[in-house]
Amino acid sequence: MSNRKKVLLKVIVLGDSGVGKTCLMNQFVSKKFTNQYKATIGADFQTKEVMVDNKLITLQIWDTAGQERFQSLGVGFYRGADCCVLVYDVTSPTTFKSLESWRDEFLIQSSPKDPENFPFVVIGNKIDLENRSITTKRAQSWCQSKNNIPYFEVSAKEALHVDEAFATVARNAQAQENEVELYNEFPDQIKLSPLPTSSSRQDNCGC
Amino acid sequence: MDTDDNEVQDLELEPGGALESMIIPISEEGLLEHEGVESPRLAFKEGFDERLPSTVRENTRFCNGDSSKESSCEVHEEESREPIDLTAYRKHIFVFSEAGKPIYSRHGDEDLLASTMGIMQALSSCIQNRNQDQIRFMKAGKHRFVYLLRLPLVLVGVSSDPFLSFQQLQNHLLYMYNEIVCVLTHTVLTNVFEKRSNFDLRRILGGSEKQFDALADRMDVDPSFLLGAVRCLPLAASVRDQITQAIVQSCNKVKDLVFAILVADNHLVTMGRMKRYQLHPVDLHLIFNLVQSSQNLKDAETWFPICLPKFNAAAFLHAHVSYLDEECVSCLLLISAQRDQFFELQECRAKIVERMTKNKLFPVIAQSVKMAGYSARETGIFDLRHFIYKAKSSAQLSSPRYETVYLQEDSQRRLIGLYHLLHARMFNSGRPLKILYCAGERETQLGWHMVGFELYATFEPLISKEGAVKAMNKLLYWIKKEEDRLFIMNSATF
Repeated sequence: MSNRKKVLLKVIVLGDSGVGKTCLMNQFVSKKFTNQYKATIGADFQTKEVMVDNKLITLQIWDTAGQERFQSLGVGFYRGADCCVLVYDVTSPTTFKSLESWRDEFLIQSSPKDPENFPFVVIGNKIDLENRSITTKRAQSWCQSKNNIPYFEVSAKEALHVDEAFATVARNAQAQENEVELYNEFPDQIKLSPLPTSSSRQDNCGC
Repeated sequence: MDTDDNEVQDLELEPGGALESMIIPISEEGLLEHEGVESPRLAFKEGFDERLPSTVRENTRFCNGDSSKESSCEVHEEESREPIDLTAYRKHIFVFSEAGKPIYSRHGDEDLLASTMGIMQALSSCIQNRNQDQIRFMKAGKHRFVYLLRLPLVLVGVSSDPFLSFQQLQNHLLYMYNEIVCVLTHTVLTNVFEKRSNFDLRRILGGSEKQFDALADRMDVDPSFLLGAVRCLPLAASVRDQITQAIVQSCNKVKDLVFAILVADNHLVTMGRMKRYQLHPVDLHLIFNLVQSSQNLKDAETWFPICLPKFNAAAFLHAHVSYLDEECVSCLLLISAQRDQFFELQECRAKIVERMTKNKLFPVIAQSVKMAGYSARETGIFDLRHFIYKAKSSAQLSSPRYETVYLQEDSQRRLIGLYHLLHARMFNSGRPLKILYCAGERETQLGWHMVGFELYATFEPLISKEGAVKAMNKLLYWIKKEEDRLFIMNSATF
């Protein structure tokens, strides 16, 4: 369990319906792409091991459904994420505009300790298509305004820059996770009371 | 203990019973602190009727008939980083954080099961979110899934064993949760997740995996977990008294020493305790498991913090643990509230060893362990093959060794499975039973619940109902006669 010094990071992928979240994940995890659209119901999960800076990291990727009717996934879904990937479609302005609300939604639901510095990564997908409507510059300036979120333009179809994007996800999430000081604190010593304990003993054990 | 019980016991205590027990007697339904799994009927109807003879004969690990696969999943399970075939195992236990991050899995590499545990957490989260409710159990084909939410942890048990009820599986999860608390304390467990909900608990649970594995497996084969009672090593009363005295006299003046426990082969030999403090069977089972699963305790005297969750889940006690004899049979645990008492307790231990050696007590303990208890034949009841008896007021149990048709491991597991079934049927909350007679093809069983005891006995298949009831009475009489040897009747305090 511990000997291998495993690192496991929880990554949540958010974005409007049809921007290619599942395709992106499939490309990254299994190097596969399909043009057929199949809406994700609720959520989907994939696991991928990556080497980052000579360290083996397991990414537990929580792929969500973009459609609103599936969005009540609950706090438990967002809680304890190490990184959040926001995806939009470079050919669709509405999906870009939604990034703001996806980011807010995530911060509200997961309520991280330090929201300002929580690691996000923004991915503009479908750069293989010709009818592009969001310029790189526009996307970059939005990312800069949000405390310099790293920005990547990728094509899940052509496997362009997908691995780089996820390497950054892993690196930034891990940097954040590393900051955790080890919890070596010892709880207080048990005070042995002279009182009978058989009735009161189990009160504080929470079980 | 309620007042009714007291009245009855004042008149006459059940065999092996105690007025002031050193172990906390627990409620009627054993350890099953139901988490609202109020579906015994479902378990009964859909689960137990699948008593297919074929499942009985199968090994614990079966691999869908593919024998080559079977060997591959048995070999080097711990080292392999390959995804495992989840259906190849009869029982699974998964532990993950509220964030869905894997903490422990009985089989397979938990990192590679990250997706599985993610799905499990997502299911739980959705149900909590939409219905303000909790997911408790699922049934899919012959597999049962039981959830136990002990936030910040979520535990999921999966079983395809037709003999294991939802509640019994949930009981396994409760034990597993307590085992984690035993390593960390409830305080640390909640603190780390309060500070960071994405915390990877494996970082501080390091090295405890063996203990968890041992516990998960032990619960399948040891009925003492099922009954919430402690198994004692059979010893002549005079011998046990001498051992107890050797321990208590040596520990008399140690401040804050709460328990002195002598364990041999997963049996309690004796116990000394501070006045007014009792041990819960769950805590004792965790102690047994710790001793059993830590081979390195045999190398040297050890001093480590241990949390006994039922005693006090908020903080650590400190244990001086050592084997007393060369053969590493008798393991002594001196458990104190102080964290810097090693040398003082080391002296106690030396005195205990001296006293016990002088009275030649170690060979007697070793002999009893070697005998593996007693034979059902000693009862003089011809048709009796095996039984489990629990004295409720003292939370102790006794049973003979497995013999004749139950010598093989798979037939033992089958028998234990049948006891689980009998137990679940009798504790069915919709229709609790005082007495249950089950005639089967290969054996006949009788379960009997009385105010002071639970008795489950296995007979030759052809015994009649009257014959079995008569035999039970005779058996009770025998247990009463032998109680000094089978149970710890005197509770010693410092």
